[in-house]
Amino acid sequence: MNCKEFEFEYIAAPDEIAGDACEHLQACAECQTFVEQQAAFEAQLAAVIQCDVPDGFRHSVRKHVVNHQPSFWTMPKTAIAVAASLVMAVGLVTFNKGQFNGQSFPLDRLVVEHVEHDGEHSMLASHQLNKQQLAKVSQQFGVRVNLQKGITFAEKCPIGDSYGLHMVYKYNGQQITVIYMPELSPKTFIQFNYAGLRGWIKPLEKGSVAVLGRQAIDIPSIDFADEFIEWL
Amino acid sequence: MQEKQKQLEYERLVLVYSDDLFRYALWRCRDKSMAEDLVQETCMRAWKSLDKLRDISSSKAWLMTILRNEHARLYARYRPEMVDMELDTVSLKDANNDTSPEAFALKQALKELAEEYREPLLLQVIGGLSCEEIAGVCNISKSATMTRLFRAKQKLREVLRPDEGQVDA
Repeated sequence: MNCKEFEFEYIAAPDEIAGDACEHLQACAECQTFVEQQAAFEAQLAAVIQCDVPDGFRHSVRKHVVNHQPSFWTMPKTAIAVAASLVMAVGLVTFNKGQFNGQSFPLDRLVVEHVEHDGEHSMLASHQLNKQQLAKVSQQFGVRVNLQKGITFAEKCPIGDSYGLHMVYKYNGQQITVIYMPELSPKTFIQFNYAGLRGWIKPLEKGSVAVLGRQAIDIPSIDFADEFIEWL
Repeated sequence: MQEKQKQLEYERLVLVYSDDLFRYALWRCRDKSMAEDLVQETCMRAWKSLDKLRDISSSKAWLMTILRNEHARLYARYRPEMVDMELDTVSLKDANNDTSPEAFALKQALKELAEEYREPLLLQVIGGLSCEEIAGVCNISKSATMTRLFRAKQKLREVLRPDEGQVDA
């Protein structure tokens, strides 16, 4: 590969350089300089193209779909309710009748399902969030998170038919998952231990918090729920 | 796909990709409310055909394709004054955006870029799609995609540094 060919490939697809192009880049000082200049241009281009998204846009998209898709959120609820009843009947999950409002599934089941769906990576550290990043996410839920150090993931995630603040927090040297759910709350404290996960869910003044981890991981005590957030 | 799993998967797609879909829609429509409507319609279509999505890793390209088709379907015949609308009026003037003369020149150049060049570029920059994925969305070959991306960037770069020598495709 010569310099012209490399430049063509790099300009067209800077993130897909491989094989011959990589070898050429390592050996060619001129192309290394070119790459630096082109990277600056790419950054400038991205800054121009990536415009801001209106506040609450995701929420409005979701709401629109909920309001216009009867076969999605209304009719299946009956089926879900029936399925949940069957699940309760065979005793596969620990669910006390009346402990949970507004959902067809028990809350611990929804939490476990959410984590399973997101996969292993959602329980691992990704990157340390700074105070501003954390504040930006948590403000969407009207709360301030008091665990500023050790939070390595914080994202708004769907839990059942509402959203939760999903965080990964380093506790006693290990990663635990903490999910604040402003719209979902059991009537009483729930402990669970199945599907390779164990944890608890505690009702709060508004909503509830779930704390969970893999079975071998040390989970904080229930007092944690009273300390980790405050309402704005 | 089970209903609950489908619902979770769908919500995940909306959560993860709606911002990028909006950006892509905005560049296509150049109108904020039209872009919002377009994303909503895209999401509705996506829900209806979620069963057809075989490979989760290609979901972004899949959504971009739906948006592109929806745009063609909804707005192909509707070409209002937005054609002449200044890009700065379509939310690209937010505080976080670069307002330097260079950025302005780039925006103008992007606006004037032929659709066949702008499209792959937007899909690459906004969607982070690979050349192969862009080729699939635009229904062209991978080599044609690379050539279009190359030419698009060369044209834009000329705007910033007109005296710079060109690289031949």
